[in-house]
Amino acid sequence: MNPGIDLQASFIQILVDLGLSAEVAKIIWMPIPMLLLLIGATLGVMVTTWLERKISAAAQQRIGPEFAGPLGMLIPIADALKLLVKEDIIPAKADGWLFTLGPALVTIPIFLSYLIVPFGQNLQITDLGVGIFLWISLSSIAPIGLLMAGYSSNNKYSLLGGLRAAAQSISYEIPLALSVLAIVMMSNSLSTVDIVQQQSGLGILSWNVWRQPIGFIIFWIAALAECERLPFDLPEAEEELVAGYQTEYAGIKFALFYLSSYVNLVLSALFVSVLYLGGWNFIVPVEWIANAIGVSETTPWLQVITGALGITMTVFKAYLLVFLAILIRWTVPRVRIDQLLDLGWKFLLPVSLVNLLLTAALKLTFPVAFGG
Amino acid sequence: MLKFLKQVGDYTKEAIQAAQYIGQGLSVTFDHMQRRPITVQYPYEKLIPSERWRGRIHFEFDKCISCEVCVRVCPINLPVVDWEFNKETKKKKLNHYSIDFGVCIFCGNCVEYCPTNCLSMTEEYELSTYDRHELNFDNVALGRLPYKVTEDPMVEPLRELAYLPKGVLEPHGLPAGSRRAGKLPEELLEEMEASQ
Repeated sequence: MNPGIDLQASFIQILVDLGLSAEVAKIIWMPIPMLLLLIGATLGVMVTTWLERKISAAAQQRIGPEFAGPLGMLIPIADALKLLVKEDIIPAKADGWLFTLGPALVTIPIFLSYLIVPFGQNLQITDLGVGIFLWISLSSIAPIGLLMAGYSSNNKYSLLGGLRAAAQSISYEIPLALSVLAIVMMSNSLSTVDIVQQQSGLGILSWNVWRQPIGFIIFWIAALAECERLPFDLPEAEEELVAGYQTEYAGIKFALFYLSSYVNLVLSALFVSVLYLGGWNFIVPVEWIANAIGVSETTPWLQVITGALGITMTVFKAYLLVFLAILIRWTVPRVRIDQLLDLGWKFLLPVSLVNLLLTAALKLTFPVAFGG
Repeated sequence: MLKFLKQVGDYTKEAIQAAQYIGQGLSVTFDHMQRRPITVQYPYEKLIPSERWRGRIHFEFDKCISCEVCVRVCPINLPVVDWEFNKETKKKKLNHYSIDFGVCIFCGNCVEYCPTNCLSMTEEYELSTYDRHELNFDNVALGRLPYKVTEDPMVEPLRELAYLPKGVLEPHGLPAGSRRAGKLPEELLEEMEASQ
């Protein structure tokens, strides 16, 4: 396996060649991926909100945003500007500290989780050994923020919404973690890069969907529930709870909630594509194509193309799943809280346990196909 | 043991069935995405109001005999009829007449009962103003006729559902001269006259 492009190493090398010491070069490099992450995640959200509007409109035989820029593409910018210049209100009887802390606590872990999303061989911020575990643990911080927001608003609907959010995240965390565990068992690693690499042998045939169809479905359902997307959006059900824990929020704090919910959606879609749909892998391995046309794998232009293709494939797969999520939004009605908990504890949990055991058994019997 | 297996089997069957139904629903929503938007792009496209449309009321000043029937049949006595008795001609002389369309519910009772037919319904429905008092139409404003949608060069007129050919559900891109389902009122009248 060739290392592909390593932006960090080449960037530091350039700076060292210019006469800086390696430590200084590393410090100069550090903020760049962080900034890139923030911009990337925010841009992803903007595209997602636009897609959500357009696809929702299409599913309802409407046109959707049309006049704000070509095809209404400036609508997310108008949204963001509106929310940023609105008055920041803290209700008189709310707990100011918790009220402010809530949205921040929801947003930060979700952005942090982007650290471990791989877009290519070296195209990720950090290749942590505990990668996917970090994501699972970070995603359980968000419900605390939601609960905080709900409790501090001093509003019964907010409180109900916050409690529902906590109950929902706790019950869907487990099947999510169990289905991830099955993947981890197959790839013998928690690192996202290793998980993708293990799926890269035979192109589309070696993707984890074929080996983990049940896990894929469970993961997607649980991820939808974690993101509070329809049909599991009851913590913020507009009709019953007046948007739940968001009721008292306005301006920039509401914008944080809005942002984090969409970042979370994109993130979940990215993780599905990483865990089950082969991450940055093309349908056919790029090496095969390179060998077929007789180009060495270490050719610079081929590596640039491979990197670009990797990013495109990851984002494409993720947005395909976002599209599916939006389609599901207009297909499936919202579940009740008891149905939600029933589904989580009585269906997803046992099925994911069975899936885990099945994976273990298959791994012992067919170590070749299931990562022995 | 057998009972347990049966339970598991039933459970699986139900789960598969649920997945099937969700798949069916998804195919319906997916199919909707390729259909043409049925929305009417309002300021540029407008629906042609039907001939029974109860819009803003039109008033003909010279026909009015100041009988005040319209006031009596109105649910809230809305029309204001300002008249005085002319002793020489021994007739009522109408000075002013006004209806406040901010209050009117467009029930059409006044039009129905007017003995001289000086009240009628127009097809005007665009009654938005910045000040609600602008909706208090006096006899001059009531005497104006609205601009027809079909004659407005800025607007693409679209037919309502009942005026579309049989089986057609949306008014965009109709071939010219396509007629609506069923017989037209004038044709019905002709038939009736011919049979008599």
